[in-house]
Amino acid sequence: MSPLVPLVRYQSALLLRSQRWLAPVLLYAALLGIGVQQGQPVLDSMGYAAAGLLPVAAWLVRICVTQEPEAARACAAATAGPARVHLASLLSAMGCAALLGVVGTAYVAAVSDPASGDHQVAVPLGAACAAGLIAAGVCALTGAAVGTLGSRPVLRARGWSLALTALAALLALVLAPSPARYAVFDLVTGSRTGAVHLALVPLGAALALAGTAAAGACALSARRR
Amino acid sequence: MGRRYTVGGPWVLRAVDLDLPAAALIRIEGTNGTGKSTLLRLIAGIDAPTEGGITGRPRTAYVPERFPAALPFTAAGYLAHLGRVHGLPGRTARQRAGRWLARFGAAAHADTPLAELSKGTSQKVAVAQALLAEPELLVLDEAWTGLDTAARAELDRAVRERVTAGGTVVFVDHDPARLAGQEDARYAVAGTGLHGVAGPPRAAPVLVDIIGTGPLPPQLPGAPKELTSTDGLRTLCVPADRSDDLLRALLAAEPPWHIRGVRGT
Repeated sequence: MSPLVPLVRYQSALLLRSQRWLAPVLLYAALLGIGVQQGQPVLDSMGYAAAGLLPVAAWLVRICVTQEPEAARACAAATAGPARVHLASLLSAMGCAALLGVVGTAYVAAVSDPASGDHQVAVPLGAACAAGLIAAGVCALTGAAVGTLGSRPVLRARGWSLALTALAALLALVLAPSPARYAVFDLVTGSRTGAVHLALVPLGAALALAGTAAAGACALSARRR
Repeated sequence: MGRRYTVGGPWVLRAVDLDLPAAALIRIEGTNGTGKSTLLRLIAGIDAPTEGGITGRPRTAYVPERFPAALPFTAAGYLAHLGRVHGLPGRTARQRAGRWLARFGAAAHADTPLAELSKGTSQKVAVAQALLAEPELLVLDEAWTGLDTAARAELDRAVRERVTAGGTVVFVDHDPARLAGQEDARYAVAGTGLHGVAGPPRAAPVLVDIIGTGPLPPQLPGAPKELTSTDGLRTLCVPADRSDDLLRALLAAEPPWHIRGVRGT
C-alpha cells in the first residue's frame, strides 16, 4: 500500500485534533454570514462564496505544512520520504478546503433566490450548484497553490511568507491571469442575464497551477527544511 | 555525496562515500558540529544530498535526539498512525505499538497525550515508532539521550535484534562505551569528510560446531567464517561478542540448525 493514504490520514488527524482549522473555518463562516443574504441572486452569492474560499485555502495549506514539529516530521520523512510527507499535508489542507467549498455551496443554494441579478430570469438550481462547486474548486486550488508557494519549504522566513501569502491571495482574486478571477467573473457576469457558465477551463488551469506548485514544493522539501 | 544548506554556502559534507551492508551495526563519530546529524539525516533520507546521490533505499526509520513532539495524539494513537505510515495494517500497528511501549516500560503512558509526557517517555515513543516497523535501515541520532538506564539497555538489545534479523543500524552516541566492540564498522566525520576508524581489537573468536547440510542462512550475525567441514559436522568461527546472536539466528532458522557445541580457539 502506498504510504500516502495513511500519511494523509495522519496529517488530517493532526489538523482536526489540533483545532488549528478553527480560525480559517470561522473566517469562511464569517465571510458567508456577512456576504450571503437570504434571497440574493444565487450566482452572485456562489461567486462570492467561491472567492472567499481562496484565502481560506491558502491559510489551511499554511497550517498543514507547518503543523508538525520538526522532530516528528523527521520521523515521518525517514519512513515515507519528505516529498510524500509534504504532499500529504497539502492534500489534507485541500481536503478540508474542498469540504468547506461543498458546505458553502450548499448553504448558498439553500438561502439564495434561484434567479438572475435583476430577479427576472429563473436560474436552474442544479446548474447553479454545479457552477458554484466548480468555481469553489478553482478558488480552493488557486488558494492552495498560493499557500504552497508562500510557506515552507519555498518561503521560510515567517514574516515575509505570511505577508506575501496574504498579498498573493488578494492578487489571485483580482489579477487577470488567475484562474480564480475568471471563475468568479464567469459566475457574476452570468448572473446579470441568468446564464450559467461552467468554469471548466479555469478549473483545468487551476489544477495545473496547484499541481505544479505542489510538485515544486515537494521536490524542494528534501533540500530545505 | 555532499551537502550544503544554502546555495554558495559552506559544505557541511563533501565527497562522502559510504556503503551500508545488511546485518551490520555502524557507528558514526565526530566532535560536536562536524556534521554527524547532517550525515544521519542524509542516510535516513530526510534530506537529499546537494551533489551525488543515494541508491538502494531500504525501509527506513529514524530516531531523533529529542522528541518534544507537541502532537495532539496519545502515545498509542501516534504510534498507530506511524505504524500505518510504515505500511502496517491498523491492527498490527496498534498491537506492536503496545508491545514496544511495554518493552520500554511505558505501557502505563499509552493513553497519555504526547504533550503531557515527560522528556524520557517522549523519547521512548520516538524509539518505539522506529522499532515497531522492524525497519531494514534504522538510524539513531543519540537516541539513548534522555532514556532511563533500563530503557537504554532495552534499546541496546533491540538494536542487536535488528542486526541479527539482517537489518542495518547506523548510530551516533556521545557515550563511547555504547555498543562498544559490537560495531561492524566505525566512521568519523572530520572536516567535511568521512573516514573509517579502526575499531578496538575485537573479542577473541569462538568456534561453533553445528550439524546440518545445505547452505547457511544468508546474513548471519557476526559474519561467521566456515572452517573445513568433515562428515556433517560444520564449524563456524565468529567473534565472541556475537556468538549469542549467531546461536539465536541458527536456532531461529527454518529448519533450525542443531548446535553441537561452542568452544574457544
